[in-house]
Amino acid sequence: MIKVYINDKPYDVVEGITIMQAAAMAGYKIPSLCYHPRLSIYGGCRVCIVEVEGVKNFAASCSYPIKDGMKIRTNTEAVRKARKEIVELILDNHPQDCNICKRNGICELQNLAREVGVEERMFAGERKRYDKDDASPCVENNQEKCVLCGRCVRMCAEIQKIRAIDFVNRGIKTRVSPAFDMSFKDSVCSCCGQCITVCPTAALTEKDYIKETFEVLNDKSKIKVAQIAPSVRAAIGEFFGLKPGKNWEKETAASLKKLGFDYVFDTQFSADLTIVEEASEFLDRLKGNGALPMITSCSSAWMKAMEQFYSDLIPNVSTCRSPMSMLSSIIKTYFAKKINVDPKNIASVAFMCCVAKKYEAAREELLIDGMRTTDYSLTTRELGRMLKSSGINLPDIKGEEFDSPLGQSSGAATIFGVTGGVMEAALRTAYELATGKTLIDIEMTQARGFEGVKEGKIDVDGTEVRFAVVHGLGNAAKILDVVRKDKNKYHFIEIMACPGGCIGGGGQPYTAVNGQTFDINLLKLRAQALYDSDKSKIIRKSHENPDIKKLYDEFLGTPLGEKAHKLLHTHYKPHFPKGI
Amino acid sequence: MSTPKEVLSQKKLKAKEELSAAGFFKPLKIYVGSATCENAAGAKEIMKIFETQAGKKDCRDFYLSKKGCVGRCNLEPTVEVYEEGKKTVLYVKVNEKEAEKIIDKHIKVGK
Amino acid sequence: MPAMSVSEKFKKVFLDDKYSVGQERVALRNVGLIDPENIYDYIYNARGYQALAEVLTDMKPEDVVEAVKKSGLRGRGGAGFPTGMKWEFTAKEKSLEKYVVCNADEGDPGAFMDRSAIEGDPHSILEGMLIGGYAVGAQKGIVYIRAEYPLAVERLEKAFCAARKEGFLGENILGSDFSFDVEIRLGAGAFVCGEETALINSIEGKRGMPRPRPPFPASNGVFGKPTLVNNVETWANIGAIFLDGADSFAALGTEKSKGTKVFALAGKINNTGLFEVPMGTTLKEIVYEIGGGIPNGKKLKSVQTGGPSGGCLTEKFLETKIDYESLAAAGSIMGSGGMIVIDEDSCMVNIAKYFLEFTKSESCGKCVPCREGTTRIYETLTRITEGQGEEGDIEKLELLGEIIKKSSLCGLGQSAPNPLLSSIKNFRKEYEEHIYLKRCRAKVCEKLVDYVINDNCVGCGACRRVCPATAIDGTVKAKHYIYSAKCIKCARCFKTCKFNAVVKETGLPE
Repeated sequence: MIKVYINDKPYDVVEGITIMQAAAMAGYKIPSLCYHPRLSIYGGCRVCIVEVEGVKNFAASCSYPIKDGMKIRTNTEAVRKARKEIVELILDNHPQDCNICKRNGICELQNLAREVGVEERMFAGERKRYDKDDASPCVENNQEKCVLCGRCVRMCAEIQKIRAIDFVNRGIKTRVSPAFDMSFKDSVCSCCGQCITVCPTAALTEKDYIKETFEVLNDKSKIKVAQIAPSVRAAIGEFFGLKPGKNWEKETAASLKKLGFDYVFDTQFSADLTIVEEASEFLDRLKGNGALPMITSCSSAWMKAMEQFYSDLIPNVSTCRSPMSMLSSIIKTYFAKKINVDPKNIASVAFMCCVAKKYEAAREELLIDGMRTTDYSLTTRELGRMLKSSGINLPDIKGEEFDSPLGQSSGAATIFGVTGGVMEAALRTAYELATGKTLIDIEMTQARGFEGVKEGKIDVDGTEVRFAVVHGLGNAAKILDVVRKDKNKYHFIEIMACPGGCIGGGGQPYTAVNGQTFDINLLKLRAQALYDSDKSKIIRKSHENPDIKKLYDEFLGTPLGEKAHKLLHTHYKPHFPKGI
Repeated sequence: MSTPKEVLSQKKLKAKEELSAAGFFKPLKIYVGSATCENAAGAKEIMKIFETQAGKKDCRDFYLSKKGCVGRCNLEPTVEVYEEGKKTVLYVKVNEKEAEKIIDKHIKVGK
Repeated sequence: MPAMSVSEKFKKVFLDDKYSVGQERVALRNVGLIDPENIYDYIYNARGYQALAEVLTDMKPEDVVEAVKKSGLRGRGGAGFPTGMKWEFTAKEKSLEKYVVCNADEGDPGAFMDRSAIEGDPHSILEGMLIGGYAVGAQKGIVYIRAEYPLAVERLEKAFCAARKEGFLGENILGSDFSFDVEIRLGAGAFVCGEETALINSIEGKRGMPRPRPPFPASNGVFGKPTLVNNVETWANIGAIFLDGADSFAALGTEKSKGTKVFALAGKINNTGLFEVPMGTTLKEIVYEIGGGIPNGKKLKSVQTGGPSGGCLTEKFLETKIDYESLAAAGSIMGSGGMIVIDEDSCMVNIAKYFLEFTKSESCGKCVPCREGTTRIYETLTRITEGQGEEGDIEKLELLGEIIKKSSLCGLGQSAPNPLLSSIKNFRKEYEEHIYLKRCRAKVCEKLVDYVINDNCVGCGACRRVCPATAIDGTVKAKHYIYSAKCIKCARCFKTCKFNAVVKETGLPE
């Protein structure tokens, strides 16, 4: 322990930390912008500056390490004035259209300006003008709003390790863009949307389909069907300023009805369906009818990255569609028949915690008879904005059940949203399908937790099944390099593109503006909501879901059968965007 | 095992031989400034003129070499003529005509 | 043999010239006296590699560091950090892999001290780096040189080849246990890569943006290893320190700034060029003796030192002894050694604008104060020089300059406002005239003068034809007249007239 003086008071702190961390222990929250706890230290915004005795100029508290006896002043007149003027310099090169901006009220720059007390425009000059890049189905890049904090660049390079974007040009002409000025659409961007979650302004946002969805809701000629993913319900409360950790399942279902959807189904239902298909596929491969290890395919950003960088592993990827797409297929075939409506008159809208699902919904390989199965995929944030603009205050809504016949789900489906959940659900079913015995240890702790790479094994009637679970594309790269060298190390691998799994998806509510830090504790809270729901359910294994059984009996036939193949499976091909 | 100092003394002897073989110890030496600034001012052409003179019958034998810039930017290109026993002369602002003059007056005759 | 003899050799060549009398050639001891492409010339005639041999034979690495500390050498790249201390920090780090870097990315516009040193005596740089590598425990050296110096790169490559052949570079140098090799990395046209952490990022293949310091390169440098970064001129001095002794080096210069400095004199001065003088030489001697005074009998207005990071000194400072402390106290910096002499025909506001244009375009864009601030300063200065200065502009510039100085991440931003702030401090009246009277005393800012036709006019009508505002009237062969109310001050008439009949007037009192 060493002693530092913050604003003349002595504090005993551990060695090896920065001024910002030491000040936090003393109760000071120094304003900052480019600093992000999950990313490397950048030191570029200069908002977090403080005075250090003996140092000529201001020191950036996010990067300056403390020394024994250091005397720090965090809020002298000079420092506060300088911070104000630096934020003002940022604002001077920023559009003045807060009132019509997507992040009005939930913008970190607005909060920062208020925090440091900007009151006048002293340095107003030329503002940067760039065209918006909105060609990609998932990510929009509006460089006029970029404050060049570099968080997106660092997120894509350090955590996701895709490196799709970086700074281009220098000085006042610096901007963030994919290589060679290409659009996001043509680049190696995996559409994971993690860059959006760390962007403090509306520079990087998801392509939103709120307008289109409202149009559809007003279209009397259409039957409007909605589906929601489990992770949306675990996080939607945060959008309304509530603490994370509650599963707002029934309230969200009711809210969607109030928005105007005719039927509200549960993506957890099709998660059960996915498990039945995928477990069957896995067992088939274990017998020798397919490549091992088998890698899950429900994460669409992982699918895009796979086709770009790991196309040699295509034989290893499960051919199952994601739960969202499986449900959309069933909606436009089985359900359309059931309610006697032409599928062309059904609008299928999915509410996901995911940005890449927008890309997935548009994939050609998922068309059924030339028709898109998911018409629109929206993020948790878009859902929140739709509810707010319709005056539907989620916390006060009385919950309702999902609609039949696609609304019932098991506990295994609920935990799909957490890293390791798909693996656990699949193994619960695979075990019973293979051995015919009842699985007693239902909660597989080996698959749970937030380390980047988790390994485990279970005994299936004498056969050892080795599995691995990774989350975050950066960790995926690690395990795939291992797989390329040794195909026998694992039998089954779950890959989630987003850190934490879907609960940490690119479409989840912004955390910083809700007073949250996106750290492991937040993930744990969101995860706990889903694990608790799993515990509270009676049916906890996918194949025991009676509605699933009914679906197979009435419509699909057998898992991996012909109909199942047409509607619930897909194929992949290598895809090389410019630059590979 | 010789110390580095001893190795260096050997190298010095070798250096002397190499220089001698190249003609360094001739009594007449001509240095042409050859940094980028001098080259931009035309030092390369000047060098060529002296090179073509070397070995010509009516010209005294001399050792021709490059040298770095001496810092007199407004007086480039420069040519330094060193003669044993005489004062070193520095010619400045040497263009091709001047170079010829130097050769005629200084090198050939010795003024 | 003391260093004096080298300088004396130099002076013999320029005997009567005031230019050379004040000079002491230490870093440039061999430049202009040997063939830079001939290693044997270096070995035989310039005591080449003798310093290295003595160090490897007689001295332990700690002794080498002590000697550099004793000499008082300070970094010649501009910051002036005590070199011995830097070497000590790097030597102290426990790591099997260390690097030694030569910063040859001389970016100051008009500066060519480093280029001259490399082109004239590349082996001295190498020898310095070898001694440095031995002292701190490095096995690898990197010369980061700007790509715009092709001849310097060529001479370095030739020197390295020759040195490897003769056993001065590579495994077991001169038969000792010390192995060291060196490679060249080219810059790609960014002034900011002269900043040591941006330079290190560039070497690593990353975007040339600086890193926050601490941690310093001495503990975390190239690929995370302890790295010693020094400027070309600093390396060039090392050989001299060991040839003639640290005391001999420390005998030159002032109390806190030992040794010599190479300066590049440019601007309105008779003798433009490079010279090396002991620290402590007065500005007066530099301008009037070595520089030969100001041509055309004009008056000295200012001397700008340190390139785009430095400030403007006035004639008040003529008796100033040039060293790190005195220049800082005068509101400027030593920088890499650029000195621009400004006479009464130059506009200080325009000069500040010129420097800010440079720093603005070279800013890497990482930190807010430098990226946004230099642009705003440049916009304001442009307005002022075009006659659109407003009340409060000077105060705004001073405020903005202070923020950028104190908050920027790296030296580029921290020193970018220096030309602005020092010119406001020393020439505030000129700024006020530009803003309030809309007049440029030096008649440089085109929009801030009146254009008048004098008696030299022969009535050719060329100006009348070229005027886009039809503001000039006159009959053939008669004196023409410019209507100031219509004049848009484009200066085309001024540029067209072959008779010097169009003159710029300010109407300001002397």
